[in-house]
Amino acid sequence: MTSAPTLRPPRCGPVPAPSREMGLWVWKVAMALTGGVWALFVLIHLFGNLKVYLGAHAYDGYAHWLREVGYPLVPHQSVLWALRVVLLVCLVVHITAALVLRSKSRRARGAVKAAAAPTVSRWMTVTGILIAVFIVVHVLDLTVGAGVASDHFTQGSAYANLVASLSRPWMGIFYTLIMVLVAAHLWHGVVLAFNDLGTTSKRWRAVAKVIAGCVAVAIVLGNAVIPVAILVGLIR
Amino acid sequence: MTIQQQTTTLGFVVPTSRVVGVSPGQIVDGHIPEGDPRTAWERRRADYKLVSTGNRRKFTVIVVGTGLAGSGAAASLAELGFNVVAITYHDAARRAHSVAAQGGINAARGRKVDGDSIRRFVVDTIKGGDFRAREADAYRLAQESIRVIDHMNALAVPFGREYGGTLATRSFGGVQVSRTYYSRGQTGQQLQVAGAQALLRQVNTGRVALHNRTEVLDYVIDDAGEVRGVVVRDLVTGVIAPILGDAVVLATGGYGSIFHKSTLAVSSNASAAWRAHQRGAWFANPSFIQFHPTALPAPTPEQAKTTLMSESLRNDGRIWVPRTAGDDRDPGQIPEAERDYYLERMYPAFGNLTPRDIASRAATAQISAGRGVGPQHDSVYLDFADAMDRLGHDELERRYGNLFEMYAHATGEDPYSTPMRIAPAAHFTMGGLWSDYDLRSNLPGLFTAGESGWGYHGANRLGANSLLSACVDGWFTIPNSVADHLARRLGRTPLTPGDPCVAAAVERAQQRTAALLAVPGSTPPREFHRRLGVILYRGCSVERSQQSLTTARDEVVELREEFWKDLRINGTGHGLSITLEQAGRVADFLDLAELLCVDALDREESCGAHFRVEHSKDGEAVRDDDNWSFVSVWESNPTESGPRQFTRHAEPLDFATVHMTTRSYA
Amino acid sequence: MKLTLEVYRQASPDAAGHFESHQVDGLDPTMSILDALDTLNDQLVRDGKEAVAFESDCREGICGVCGLTVNSRPHGPTPNMTACHQRLMSFHDGDTVRLEPLRSAAFPVQRDLIVARDHLDDVVQSGAWVSIDAGTAPDADTVLTTAEVSERALTFAACIGCGACVAACPNGSAQLFVGAKLAHLATLPISQPEARKRARTMVAVADANFGPCSLHGECAKVCPQSIPLAAVAAVPKERIRALRTDAHSANG
Repeated sequence: MTSAPTLRPPRCGPVPAPSREMGLWVWKVAMALTGGVWALFVLIHLFGNLKVYLGAHAYDGYAHWLREVGYPLVPHQSVLWALRVVLLVCLVVHITAALVLRSKSRRARGAVKAAAAPTVSRWMTVTGILIAVFIVVHVLDLTVGAGVASDHFTQGSAYANLVASLSRPWMGIFYTLIMVLVAAHLWHGVVLAFNDLGTTSKRWRAVAKVIAGCVAVAIVLGNAVIPVAILVGLIR
Repeated sequence: MTIQQQTTTLGFVVPTSRVVGVSPGQIVDGHIPEGDPRTAWERRRADYKLVSTGNRRKFTVIVVGTGLAGSGAAASLAELGFNVVAITYHDAARRAHSVAAQGGINAARGRKVDGDSIRRFVVDTIKGGDFRAREADAYRLAQESIRVIDHMNALAVPFGREYGGTLATRSFGGVQVSRTYYSRGQTGQQLQVAGAQALLRQVNTGRVALHNRTEVLDYVIDDAGEVRGVVVRDLVTGVIAPILGDAVVLATGGYGSIFHKSTLAVSSNASAAWRAHQRGAWFANPSFIQFHPTALPAPTPEQAKTTLMSESLRNDGRIWVPRTAGDDRDPGQIPEAERDYYLERMYPAFGNLTPRDIASRAATAQISAGRGVGPQHDSVYLDFADAMDRLGHDELERRYGNLFEMYAHATGEDPYSTPMRIAPAAHFTMGGLWSDYDLRSNLPGLFTAGESGWGYHGANRLGANSLLSACVDGWFTIPNSVADHLARRLGRTPLTPGDPCVAAAVERAQQRTAALLAVPGSTPPREFHRRLGVILYRGCSVERSQQSLTTARDEVVELREEFWKDLRINGTGHGLSITLEQAGRVADFLDLAELLCVDALDREESCGAHFRVEHSKDGEAVRDDDNWSFVSVWESNPTESGPRQFTRHAEPLDFATVHMTTRSYA
Repeated sequence: MKLTLEVYRQASPDAAGHFESHQVDGLDPTMSILDALDTLNDQLVRDGKEAVAFESDCREGICGVCGLTVNSRPHGPTPNMTACHQRLMSFHDGDTVRLEPLRSAAFPVQRDLIVARDHLDDVVQSGAWVSIDAGTAPDADTVLTTAEVSERALTFAACIGCGACVAACPNGSAQLFVGAKLAHLATLPISQPEARKRARTMVAVADANFGPCSLHGECAKVCPQSIPLAAVAAVPKERIRALRTDAHSANG
């Protein structure tokens, strides 16, 4: 006996419970918070960088202070290392979340891509990857003194190392470009972080935009200009 | 005040008909509670039989349609604990056409000191309907309207509010008090979405099974003549199958789109109601159809949709046509002396603000006299030039900005500098499946709710009463009366899909679909629909005459025969076919259209939206209460071909608390 | 006016799709894109071919059913307007116009230009309602709600559920839709008691079926009801608020 043709099943009963994986919103919040930590770090770093205009003494003094801050209450370099650990954890979480969300986006979108405008928001992955590459380069170049570091690298001579490294035109250009990308990444990232932490009010969304704009401009003016200044000989 | 029950019912004789093929039938009992109509609903509710909470899950109620009435009926029944199968041909419950209502929803809350009350609401509704509706129905509408507002507010409808936080109201056509509650210009949408969400809440509990993209084609009727289920077509797969239950509620909306050009949605149709009629359910007052005076004319003959523009435009716009027929000059080129501001001329007291039916009729008279404007000479001007001078561009923009923008989008013309063009369009159907006071049709087990029924509005509906009647039916009447029906059927053996009456119904539905697919013609169904619209607008719209109606009936019969010879669908009917869906709906319209003409021919009086030129004096409607104070209740007798045979039953109407008066706006 | 319509055809939910090109003559610039499809369909049926399946209903921009993609833009070239209001005057005589279904993995094609948007209703079904049964509601006038609050709620409640926001989103996110629902219900006092539970279930169901929001802003450009982009932030806002367990709050 053949069974009678049946209708599609009706909508009935609770919506299938979502699987146990973490909600996208958790990843988004994690990204916002870790991105926020990094944005703050970038700003503080930016203030430190400005000492480069005051000369080698001031700059090296700042670098030294970073290592010694908190001593003797805590051992040498412990605050620095604590910061490094926090930043590293934030970076890992940020990148993991980015990868998870990106794969979810691709799956949710399906085969046919959207014809959306080429806004900064569409380039967050690309700028993010390049920034990650830069972080590695930057640590090797000016902290560890290996690989891409200049031949004149000396542990402890922050100012000299900086000038030596960025006097190489390709490195100078790389730093400048990356700083523009960091500015772009944060320009959208700061607004997005406010958004993902639930800022719905008109006023606070406007505030977020202003902050994001200021941060971006500050990075371009403060950071991206340094390699240029070194290349043209203003800083030596 | 004491109630004197009028005794006309006792002496009432169903009048004979002058229409060919119509035989008079029986006197129909509306099962209105005896005595004072003001307390009728309270007494009836106390008399309804109840189903105990533990027994409710043993019953299944099928609700067809998920508009304001359908979603309310399905949700409220499920809240009580009944099983419900809800059916919609849309992709989602929220799409039903209740969503398009703009203005508002009336309620007789009477909170202000403007003299509003339950009784005044009833008087306005009955008078607005030109005394062709049940007084007791109107009392229920008024009494339950209070809870409707509370309930819809509780479902998170963002009603317009005063600055202090209480509900805001506005006044609407046909009444002198302010009792219309609203949500900007999207009251229907807000109510509809809230209703659909309440329905989905019950889906989530598992008490409602919602079939989307599913269309009702036929009814399962058992040997005792009771409706026990429906036969549906799954619009995605093409599967035709029965759905069985203990009662069926039709909440399938109005049939105004039979006119092709209407303010209704393109999928709106009469099929579920009409197929029920073919199975024996009576149809009441089919020719009572409201035409909205301020719709945008469709720019080309092919287009069906006429977008509704808010009536508020008539507050500042002046309506005119050129004095000379066929004057095709640009409106700016026509001097004042050659324009006819006909509403201001004919109705100096109300001017451009005459009620809907009168404004529609006057416009139609101008258009049919050849003075219509626009590329198809099918509209009249609504001119804001005076308002521009008086109020200025900014004030006009403040008052009507969004409407002007909508008009500009639709037509590409700028209403600030060029007069708008408007035309009457089929809008709301006061007629529908006949039901008694408890919303039961004459077929046991079949109920109607909302616009698919005939209740409350008589021969003309007041603005903002349609959303209300759908809510009252769905949320507050159906759960009572359907429960009463079920209580009397506890322990009945359920039908099985193998029962012969189920197989017969499925067979009928399959044959019907096969018949449509088998027509070896060459014309798409939309073309027949368009031609049907032309016939009905010419013969059976705002003005009807014996001549126009007779011609229209003949043409409808002719078109129907052509349809069954020359239709073309293509495809197999398996899977999704929008042409097959259209064809089925047009086929039913072609049947219903004849009844429309027959009802209008039969009713030898003018009342509300039904205006027979033979029954008018100096252009004003002449109602005949001595002979026609009854509801025409129609039964179709099957015939193979040619004009159909009909039986007209009659439900007499009595009024105990409202005095019968003549409407006059001159 | 004459147009070449390049229409996506797909016979059934699991069939492969392809584009088909048809010339349609005798169009009027005031016609909508859907009227052009009507005209094409009459032509196809007369030629013995099956009509293009597409959805439309109210044709006045409120039912939300007429979603389709016109030249890669959900609804059509004019921003913030439903397909039924998109007029042919946006095109030039002789243009080729490409018509596709709304594109998103969450919207599987049923046939031709018709997609299933059931996942939007999944979100609604999981919590976009108020647990008050018929007849048990409090007096609407005693639930004081100021005009400003009501208007703000209406800004979000205006959503017509067309799904264009999802189709426009490079991430396939429904956050404008979900946020609009949450914001509407969280704004009105009457629906606040269940706000936390609602946010938890609705966001969970949305996250299971749609992509994450990156604030590209494409959704707000196509939304026919011009729902403000701020609505997307209502999702994290309400979800984060819902972190507090109901036991700790008198407010649900």
